[in-house]
Amino acid sequence: MRNSLIIAKRELRERLENRSFIAMLFIGPLLILAFIYFLLQFGDQGKTNMKVLIVDPSGLLENKITSQESKALTYYFYDDYIEIAEFKDGKRFQEFDAMIELNEKVLINKKVFLFYREAPSVDLKMKMKFEVERRVEEVMIEQFTQLSVNAFRQIKQPLNIDFRSVYDPKNEADNSSSWVGFFFGLIILFFISLFGMTVLRGIAKDKSNRIVELMLASVKSRDMMLGKIMGIGWAALLQLFIWTLLVGLGLFVFKSFFFKDIFDASSFEGIQMSEEVKNEILTNSSIAKYNAFIDLIYHRINFWVMIPHFVLLFVLSYLFYASFFSAIGATAGTESDGQQFVIPIFVVLMVSVYAGYMSVYWPDSQLAHLFLYLPFTSAMVILINISNGFAIGSYVETMLSALILIVSSGLFLSIAARLYKNGILIYGHSLRLRNLFQWLKKS
Amino acid sequence: MIEINQISKSFDRKVALDGLSFQIPKGQIFGLLGPNGAGKTTLIRILNQIILPDNGTIRVDGKLLNESHWKNFGYLPEERGLYKSMKVIDMLVFLAKLRGMSNYDALKNTNYWLDKFDIKEWSNKYIASLSKGMSQKVQFIAAVVHEPEYLILDEPLSGFDPINVELILNELKLMKSEGKSIILSTHNMQSVEEICDDVVLLHKSKLIASDTVENLRSSVKNGLFSIRFSGNMIALANALWTDFELIETKELGNNRFQVLVRKRGERTFEDLINNLMGKLTLEAVEEKLPSMQEVFMSLITKEEVLHAE
Repeated sequence: MRNSLIIAKRELRERLENRSFIAMLFIGPLLILAFIYFLLQFGDQGKTNMKVLIVDPSGLLENKITSQESKALTYYFYDDYIEIAEFKDGKRFQEFDAMIELNEKVLINKKVFLFYREAPSVDLKMKMKFEVERRVEEVMIEQFTQLSVNAFRQIKQPLNIDFRSVYDPKNEADNSSSWVGFFFGLIILFFISLFGMTVLRGIAKDKSNRIVELMLASVKSRDMMLGKIMGIGWAALLQLFIWTLLVGLGLFVFKSFFFKDIFDASSFEGIQMSEEVKNEILTNSSIAKYNAFIDLIYHRINFWVMIPHFVLLFVLSYLFYASFFSAIGATAGTESDGQQFVIPIFVVLMVSVYAGYMSVYWPDSQLAHLFLYLPFTSAMVILINISNGFAIGSYVETMLSALILIVSSGLFLSIAARLYKNGILIYGHSLRLRNLFQWLKKS
Repeated sequence: MIEINQISKSFDRKVALDGLSFQIPKGQIFGLLGPNGAGKTTLIRILNQIILPDNGTIRVDGKLLNESHWKNFGYLPEERGLYKSMKVIDMLVFLAKLRGMSNYDALKNTNYWLDKFDIKEWSNKYIASLSKGMSQKVQFIAAVVHEPEYLILDEPLSGFDPINVELILNELKLMKSEGKSIILSTHNMQSVEEICDDVVLLHKSKLIASDTVENLRSSVKNGLFSIRFSGNMIALANALWTDFELIETKELGNNRFQVLVRKRGERTFEDLINNLMGKLTLEAVEEKLPSMQEVFMSLITKEEVLHAE
């Protein structure tokens, strides 16, 4: 073990002295933060102030739509037909940003066109749609029914069937919490892919530059492999830690200084609009989605529970998968030869993503239970279970699954060590499955 | 002492070593010779515990070879390899620590060797920036930095210029004088002649000869004698008579000659001296033993003939 630690320290040091690793420590989180920043800053980039010309030859909506106090939308009326080309190029129409065309058949075919010069923002689109739709609806109620507007709207409400589990009749555990676990699982898979390949390449490189011969004269092959895996794993954990820290810090800065308004749901109160419009916007607009995202990040994730489990599962899964990567690195004739054999591992990693998806949407399905116990997929499913909170009995299931993962990691590490030992000194061959079975049988 | 007893090793169906048995005495430079594919590297890997033998045992100072011996062994493999991204000093300290040294001792010994080879200024150079010869020196230090009792060197002189060859050979002689055992696998027969005490010769996975260098050279001697004298060649021809055949003549000037003669029949060194005494002014007479290169070729050829029969 002493030698494994010496090798692991060397591996970590090599990475810390590598400029691209150091650069990625900071570039990675900066890219993530930049992406979030642009999402928040420019996610809804359409035009936010518009002069709208309502072409209404039959005078259907005249004086029924008024401009908002915010002046975001200013409506003008025109009581004759306008060709699109005329609106597009005509001098007198150049001041208008959009034209809503209401022909006389609108009450029958319920078709309205809005022609714009520059695409409106999501919010303006929603407002215009809502206002025109509502006003046309009021005209139709008046013309075709004997009902009051309120009565009609009560009837118009669609029947809402709410699907709920008998184990959670109040629907307290919605699947947004599951997505937290899914997201953490994805991070594990991402880092396993990234650093698994680093393990493979590192071993293949040691093999091709022949230092293994010198190393194996003072270290057991198993210890050498473990040292390599540990050292690269430490580098992965360090990178993960710094990424988490920097992204967390960045999100805090965004919340506190840059996007105070967006992060505060009450900011909608300031905008003058009806309750219905607000509801519509809150349900559909991207800002509402940002708020759900923010709510998830800032209020729903129990970091004190998630992070220790995440680290533990990351270590176990990394050990489990790294054993495959290292076995391939040691047995392959060349680095490119090894990369062919990596494809099945990546397929399995993709199955893990599917397992996570299954567990989010169908947590009680048989397949989700199976994925919980398979060491290839269990980390993802366990994290989803943890993020949801444990139901009665599921704690035992999860611990059993973690135990299977621990035992499997140990087992596959010992199998990989045997392949490593028997393959590391074989050079210049083309790796075949037959070789792997032969070396596995050899003591 | 290292005792190798009935060591065998096969890879798939190919026999690499076939029941080898011999001893490597302490405080000697021991030559491990053989043509390519004879099994030298396999034996070296077994001695270094990189691979295990299928059969047989190895004892080091009476104890079965085990992991605790790692710190007593130093190894310079034929296929040189170091981490190119590491600095010279870090690389050497790292390898010394793997051999069981503390960080302090590893650093102290590394500095001692860098000083000794007058390459202290390379300490902070990256391995990637070293020339082949420089890298060979670093690799040699890596083999000795942890003060091993047994040093296994596979082609240690390849890649060195004559000055550095001399440096390494002198270093090996010094280690021998300190009681360390050096196992030298090489195709450089001149260095074998110069520094090896005992040698074994492997051929096709078997041991075909094991003896001191002198005994091996004597065992295949071809009756050649070198004579340096003053006088004239007619007097020499008369002295040799029909007992010895003149092979080569070299005029040194002032009626001085260096000649090479071969005996005929069962003639001996004494016969030659008797023939020459009183007829020439002798400066030196010596039996010309075959070089290790010739011994090597002769033994291998003999083995090939036997194998063919």
